[in-house]
Amino acid sequence: MATTQKTKQRARQLFRLCTVNGSLDEGRVRLVAERAGSSKRRGARTLLTEFARLVRLDRREHTAEVETAVPLPSDLQATVQGRLKDAYGPGIEIRFAQKQELIGGMRIKVGSDVYDGSVQSQLAELEKSF
Amino acid sequence: MKTLALLAMLQSGGRVETITRTFGVDWPHLGAQIISFSILCAVLYRWAYRPILKILEERRQQIALGQANAEKIKAELDKTEVMRQEVLQKANAQGIKLVEEAHAAAARVQERETQKAIAEAQQIIAKAQEAAVQDHARMLGDLKREVGRLVVQTTAAVAGKVLTPEDQRRLAEATARQLPS
Repeated sequence: MATTQKTKQRARQLFRLCTVNGSLDEGRVRLVAERAGSSKRRGARTLLTEFARLVRLDRREHTAEVETAVPLPSDLQATVQGRLKDAYGPGIEIRFAQKQELIGGMRIKVGSDVYDGSVQSQLAELEKSF
Repeated sequence: MKTLALLAMLQSGGRVETITRTFGVDWPHLGAQIISFSILCAVLYRWAYRPILKILEERRQQIALGQANAEKIKAELDKTEVMRQEVLQKANAQGIKLVEEAHAAAARVQERETQKAIAEAQQIIAKAQEAAVQDHARMLGDLKREVGRLVVQTTAAVAGKVLTPEDQRRLAEATARQLPS
């Protein structure tokens, strides 16, 4: 148990070392993953798993999913991109998707933050109020 | 006996002799008879009269004892009768008291059971009312949910067709404005 805790601690240290100016450096991440993957040392696999989990969490935190019922006009896309970069930093990855079940409006998910102005969510709220 | 005759002769003189001769008294015979009669009297007294007297005395004592016993028994009977009457009166009074107590207890039990039945009936009515209220509330809730579901379903079906591109843009802009700047 103590060994696992130490390994996780080392994974967190390595993850911090891969962060440059608040965003993850892809080159460093690859280097760490390659070294940990090829290492024969005891606990290397646990370290790699924990490191991958932290990277996944970071990517999720720095990925914005923008969903709309109809395709978003380009000027509005630019506005949304600008606002997201202002709020979450320039390293944020933005994905646009179309989901007709939203009926209207837009839903943006960044990590655990959700900005939902879709008609679907408003109807769900209305249904819940009944 | 001779002395007696002689004495009689001296006291009465010739008169006694005259009388004895008139009645034909034979002095030796008379003396013998007197002696034999005295012996008979003594024997009878000794062997018959005294035992009979003794028996009679015993019988008398027995009778007296019996009478005394009878009186004693009568007194005991009277006393027993008095006691019996007292016991009967006491038992009668106790019986009346017991009956009264039984009546009172029965009345109390009846009152208690009546109150209990009333309380149970009230409880049942209260529960029924509560159940009715709950059923009403549940049905109302079900109805509201069903109406809400239908409203939402209808709105969802209609909204997609009704929303214009301008509406879509306006809605998207409203969401974009929610982002922290």
